[in-house]
Amino acid sequence: MSDANIGIGDIHWLMDILQNIDVGLVVLDRNYNIQLWNGFMESHSGVSPQNAKDQNLFQLCPEIPQDWFKQKSEAVFQLKTRTFTIWEQRPYLFKFKNYRPITGRTAMMYQNTSIIPLESVDKTVDHICIIVYDVTDVAVNHEDARSANESLLELNSVDQLTELPNRVIWEQDVRREHARCKRSGNPSSIAIFDIDNLAAINAQHGHRVGDRVLKTVSDSLQQTMRQTDLPCRFGGDLFAVLLVDTDAQSAMEFAERIRTIIHGLIVRQGDQPIQITTSIGLAAFDADFSTETDWLLAANKALLHAKQQGGNQTTLYHPNMRKS
Amino acid sequence: MSSVSLNEDQRDCYQELTNVAMGQAADRLARLLDAYVVLPVPKVNLIENSELHMAIQAAEADAAVSAVCQGFIGAGIAGEAMLLFNDTSFADLATLMNYPGMNNPEALDREAELELLMDVSSLLIGACIQGIGEQLEIHFNQGHPVVLGQHCLASDILKSGNHQWTKTLAIEIHYTLEHVNIDCDLLLLFTEDSVEKLNNVIDFLLD
Repeated sequence: MSDANIGIGDIHWLMDILQNIDVGLVVLDRNYNIQLWNGFMESHSGVSPQNAKDQNLFQLCPEIPQDWFKQKSEAVFQLKTRTFTIWEQRPYLFKFKNYRPITGRTAMMYQNTSIIPLESVDKTVDHICIIVYDVTDVAVNHEDARSANESLLELNSVDQLTELPNRVIWEQDVRREHARCKRSGNPSSIAIFDIDNLAAINAQHGHRVGDRVLKTVSDSLQQTMRQTDLPCRFGGDLFAVLLVDTDAQSAMEFAERIRTIIHGLIVRQGDQPIQITTSIGLAAFDADFSTETDWLLAANKALLHAKQQGGNQTTLYHPNMRKS
Repeated sequence: MSSVSLNEDQRDCYQELTNVAMGQAADRLARLLDAYVVLPVPKVNLIENSELHMAIQAAEADAAVSAVCQGFIGAGIAGEAMLLFNDTSFADLATLMNYPGMNNPEALDREAELELLMDVSSLLIGACIQGIGEQLEIHFNQGHPVVLGQHCLASDILKSGNHQWTKTLAIEIHYTLEHVNIDCDLLLLFTEDSVEKLNNVIDFLLD
């Protein structure tokens, strides 16, 4: 278009386009005084082109940080390169309302802008042009996708069968609790549950029945525990509970109560009753556990001990077990 | 699918075009940062889609990177410029750029880094594209920059992409600055169908 012959009549309709195009156009001179302010800018700011003309940009739009904007535009003036700002960097340059004030989900218009050099006849750059694009929908969709991904991650962190958190999430809780106990000296305990002979039940009656056993155990666990206790499906036939602010004795009482409840449960397969029992390993926090892994290992050792003693019982970890 | 190719003369010509363009870009960067920019020899290659991943990984081995890309199009020639920034470069860059409120490079947050990334990419990409365009007498329009990732592995950057094309003309420029720990890679990638048109323009220049 640069070498096209443009007559006065053509300029008239070209100006009409500049006025009506749904993109913001602002031309600034070397002192950041406004030389052009198109219809888009007028409509969204409520400032008419006549009033904007020759006003200083930073006085008319105090929301634009002067230093920041000058740093960008000086490069445009001096180096004759374009520069860009994107909404991720700064949500908007001009504080405009959302184009859809009713159904739009944000109050403000997100903007991307291009700042381009305007060469005069002698090839120097005395003016720059800010082009403002409304990218509210893009920004909102992007944020939506991000939050959807976060919920997916959360979904992923819950065991689908028992609806208990999985081990990864739970171990983060344990890590925090370990640090807290270390700092405050408060007693907390870990209980690890193992369903006795689940492999045999699976083999004999099928995995569907095994799943029902798991669900039954997790249901009674959730009903018995207190609100502050943090349960998880630790893996295969293992469950674990972090008993916050619970010393060894109280943990023992809790574990025995739940073991007894589960012992009374029967899952029916046809007319065949299946008796469920559990073994439980307990470890109360001890300052000797330098990491949360030590604490978990202690509970595991106690569980192993309970299993070795024939199952259907609770064992509390004792430092003497460490050597075995 | 028509297979595009590149002969030695054409490759040299691309290299020369890039040399001039990146010289201009480096000059601007040097003026902006007031530091000496080391000019490398650009690598020009026609690569397969699968090799692009390798090219990106080779550019920034296994370091954590931040990346910005920007599309450009003009006279039927389209492509993307991609700037890969080694994450260890930010502190020195902030000091050089003399960012207001960034006197403490230790305290650079993600937002400040994004600012730096945008400024440097606008400058380098803009100057390079403009420089190449001027020589070929093509005006390139530039889209808005898009952040491909911050602090991710180079291999993760291209995870989601359009893989309809099979070949791309890749021009790789590795910028480093003397005496400071700043290095970044600028990749200019032209689509397969652009290469034919570009080759025509280049052949015209070569005659």
